Amino acid sequence: MNRQRVQSALLPVVAVLVAFLIGAIVVLADGKSPVRAAEAVIKGSMANRAAIGATLEKATPLILTGLAVIVGMKAGLFNIGAQGQLLLGSIMSAYVGYRLTVLPTVVHLPLALLAGVAFGAVPAFVVGVLKAYRGVHEVIATIMMNTILVNLTDWLAGGPWMQPDQAISKTPPIQASAEIPKVADLPVGFFLAVVMAFVVWFLLSRTTLGFELGTVGANRDAAHYAGMSVKGITVLAMTLSGALAGLGGAIETQGVVGRFEPGFNRGLGFDGITIALLAKVSPRAAIPAALLIGALRASSTQLQSIAQVAPEIVDVILAVALLLVAAPMIIRWALRLRNASGVEGVNLNTGWGS
Amino acid sequence: MGIVNALRRLSPDSRNTLVAVLTGLVAAYIAYGIWDFKATAVLGFMVRYSTPLALAAMCGILCERSGVVNIGIEGQMLVGAFVAFFGATWAGIVFGVVAGVVVGALLGAFLAVCAVSWRINQIIAGTVINILAAGVTSFFYRQGRTMKGSMPTWEIPLLKDIPLLGKVFFQNQPLTYLTFAIVIVLQVMLFRTPWGLRTRAVGEHPSAADTVGVNVSLYRYGNVAAGGALAGLAGALLSVEATGTFERGMTSGRGFLALAIMIMGRWRPSLAWAAALFFGLLNGLVNQLNFERVIDVPPQFIGMLPDVLTIVVLATFAGRVRAPAASGQPYTKE
Amino acid sequence: MRKTTGALAGLLALSMFAAACGGDDADTGSGSAETTAAGGATETTAAAMERGFQGDCASEEVFCIGLVTDVGKVDDKSFNQSAWEGAMQAAQELDGFADYIETVDSKDYETNIQSFIDKKADVVLTVGFALGEATTAAAKANPDTHFIGVDAFQGEVVPNLTGLVFNEDKAGFMAGALAGLLTETNVVGAVLGTDKVPPVVAFGKGWENGAKHTNPEVKAITTYHPGGLDVAFLDPTWGGQTAKQALDNNADVIFGAGGKTGNGALIEVAKKDGAYCVGVDTDQWETVPEAHPCLVTSAMKLIDDGVVELAAQVKDGSIEGGNYFGKVGLAPFHDFDSKLPADVKTEIEQIIADVDSGKLPTGVN
Repeated sequence: MNRQRVQSALLPVVAVLVAFLIGAIVVLADGKSPVRAAEAVIKGSMANRAAIGATLEKATPLILTGLAVIVGMKAGLFNIGAQGQLLLGSIMSAYVGYRLTVLPTVVHLPLALLAGVAFGAVPAFVVGVLKAYRGVHEVIATIMMNTILVNLTDWLAGGPWMQPDQAISKTPPIQASAEIPKVADLPVGFFLAVVMAFVVWFLLSRTTLGFELGTVGANRDAAHYAGMSVKGITVLAMTLSGALAGLGGAIETQGVVGRFEPGFNRGLGFDGITIALLAKVSPRAAIPAALLIGALRASSTQLQSIAQVAPEIVDVILAVALLLVAAPMIIRWALRLRNASGVEGVNLNTGWGS
Repeated sequence: MGIVNALRRLSPDSRNTLVAVLTGLVAAYIAYGIWDFKATAVLGFMVRYSTPLALAAMCGILCERSGVVNIGIEGQMLVGAFVAFFGATWAGIVFGVVAGVVVGALLGAFLAVCAVSWRINQIIAGTVINILAAGVTSFFYRQGRTMKGSMPTWEIPLLKDIPLLGKVFFQNQPLTYLTFAIVIVLQVMLFRTPWGLRTRAVGEHPSAADTVGVNVSLYRYGNVAAGGALAGLAGALLSVEATGTFERGMTSGRGFLALAIMIMGRWRPSLAWAAALFFGLLNGLVNQLNFERVIDVPPQFIGMLPDVLTIVVLATFAGRVRAPAASGQPYTKE
Repeated sequence: MRKTTGALAGLLALSMFAAACGGDDADTGSGSAETTAAGGATETTAAAMERGFQGDCASEEVFCIGLVTDVGKVDDKSFNQSAWEGAMQAAQELDGFADYIETVDSKDYETNIQSFIDKKADVVLTVGFALGEATTAAAKANPDTHFIGVDAFQGEVVPNLTGLVFNEDKAGFMAGALAGLLTETNVVGAVLGTDKVPPVVAFGKGWENGAKHTNPEVKAITTYHPGGLDVAFLDPTWGGQTAKQALDNNADVIFGAGGKTGNGALIEVAKKDGAYCVGVDTDQWETVPEAHPCLVTSAMKLIDDGVVELAAQVKDGSIEGGNYFGKVGLAPFHDFDSKLPADVKTEIEQIIADVDSGKLPTGVN
């Protein structure tokens, strides 16, 4: 193990520590105690099994939406639509989960997950086709798609699929046979997400498809002249991205919420962008990145309860961490590390040209 | 005959614009003839709704035309709105607006530092701005303050008396007029001045621009900071002019919508303005349909109408849209 | 050379960040010190009570109220704030303590409720119908703690859970009836949050029926925010722009009901001479001072009074499970008191009395 590798592994850790330090300063400026805030984060995210379970639970959808964004970025696509894809996946898995009543768990649970995956993929597939064959930019299409899907799922949950005999927009609870169990307070869905991270890593870095995806992302013209189907790969990458987000939604429904309820899945898709960037667009790194955000989000109760700190402090810390991960020269300069490795930071393939 | 000749001399783009504007006007007056004040109400909403979006889209255009992707518009607007409002509660609305613009420019400069000097990925830098803006404005927001004064409505003499258009375009508030002016000035500057030529060169072929002596970094710094100032102004428009208050997260995704509008407008100020107006028109119609109860459909469906239409329109009519070639790419001197 | 530039830039960024934080802090610091006359009401309440459980809540004598918000903040100028003000007032009157947790993620409802159970709160107050299910579950699991669910209608009676609910349609009807009497154009408008939140719909439907009751000629134009639940209550810009569109449709009385979105509508109407606006939930004369030029009244549901009342009942042991219907009504006319014609006032008082007693049905089920 050489010095450079140690340094580049160390940098994200230092970045996070510095971010916490700045968070502490902000807390202090607000007249609260950083020590108690730290105590709150530890208590809320890792002090006992329930807290660890909460952290893992929060991290699960973030890993998957992070992966969704990563797959898109590898192919040069910026999928802002993970939020909408997750919502559709979430409600479809809820529908399959509550509507089918006589299935055994071994059939029902995977079927509901599959519904989430499939319906997460559908809107993304549409976006991919529009992009590949009609030249509609994926950023516009996914922004529009988000609004459409939020409205559609709000309507479904408050209309045709609403739980009868009550006033609130939500679907009936899913059958027990579709629920993802918890083993010793630890959500099984998390491990599924971890497996998916490794699957995506393998797919992107060890298969022909992954190579083609990366080539299209790096240089569409070169990919074209190399005989790859740029259009096909664009559609495929987008669809895969949506499927991952949809799986995130399905796990939320089947493992956490137990039904679909509007407002219960807010922000997860956008956090996916943060995860992808914190992880430097590497599928395996999405796991620790999601764990970090999951832990911080899981502490929001204790932060208020123990330290009386407003939970928005989490966003401040995240933004600083993201900045430092992206701009390691700040830390290098602060620590007087030698910059031996030339260009650092995250290199995405393209902006949103072409 | 003279008119026909003059039309022939116009570029195809200008001709299309002229045809579009005339068609729009005719449609508007036909609607006015049939529905009278209701048409005025819808078009008035169109202008109000579109103005902050158009301004934010101008920010995107300035940045991308010079080769920097700015997805931090949402955050820059939010901070602009925050600073402008609290500035206005402290020292009046003029101070507030100026403060919002200055802070927007600082955030723009920050993006430029990240993109140009540090060569950080620009999407990351923008995301940092967005998260930081949401966190900081929410964390430090305190309620219970009111602005010193409020934005007046200026009626432009003579023009305001034009039927329909007078009420829609010429009885507005100062920042709205400023936005009209900015769109027009930016359109002219981008395509008719040396500065515009250089800016576009920096965004398309930075190395070529460099070869002929254009300071790529300087142009990117200047334009991205100016873009940030426009985003800050758009935020000030939301808080100080359009509502007279600040609320957490009050930008409600307008910064992202502005990106869509920029792309729909093919990175041209005038077209982007048209796209923003189109969105405003659709949303105004949605409200009017609600008011009139013409159709009994759930508001969720009416709410997604503009988005569905946009996708359909783009899929049907728009050809391939092309971003400035170097947009998103850091430039290193060879 | 490059390294120095990078280092300098890093320094710049850090100092900028520090400056930004410092600046904001100074700004808000002076904000809390220098209270404006308009915001005075809420600020003084907040200043009078220190937040937090500063006593032994486990003991019999110390009375502790823990509040869990719906996704939102206790300074939302709306129902969370109203409930928190009630909690603080109750804590003061009962010589106890009050604390709150703001929910960031709907999936944390249970965790947040549990944290107050762990702290041995005597009353756990949950705000918003969305928390209903989590509250019921917690109440069943913790029979020794009393729960109050604001807006949570109880279908079954859980002995230690009281739903603080309101007939929003009645308040909306009263406000609409006033609007029907006040309008000169015979057009009244409503700018509402989302139709997915039952209390908002009840307010809106009551408003329309009330207006038609006093003025059969009236045309009620109503619109809901077209966005999802996550933005529908947080978009004052849309509220203002839409209120203007309603004014352009000749409406001259506008009802703004939907959190910040509705507040935006009120502020916009205030800019137009001769137009009236009607607030919602609390007396918005206190929470939206910008709307003073038009704010004739507010369709109120008195959450704070209900919380104070129920907390007192918990303290003296007289509380029962099921539903407690809180007071609804119209806020004082404030500056408009002297401007409203006497016959309008007489008529509206009669309507308020009739709606309250149930003699006059609102037509909303």
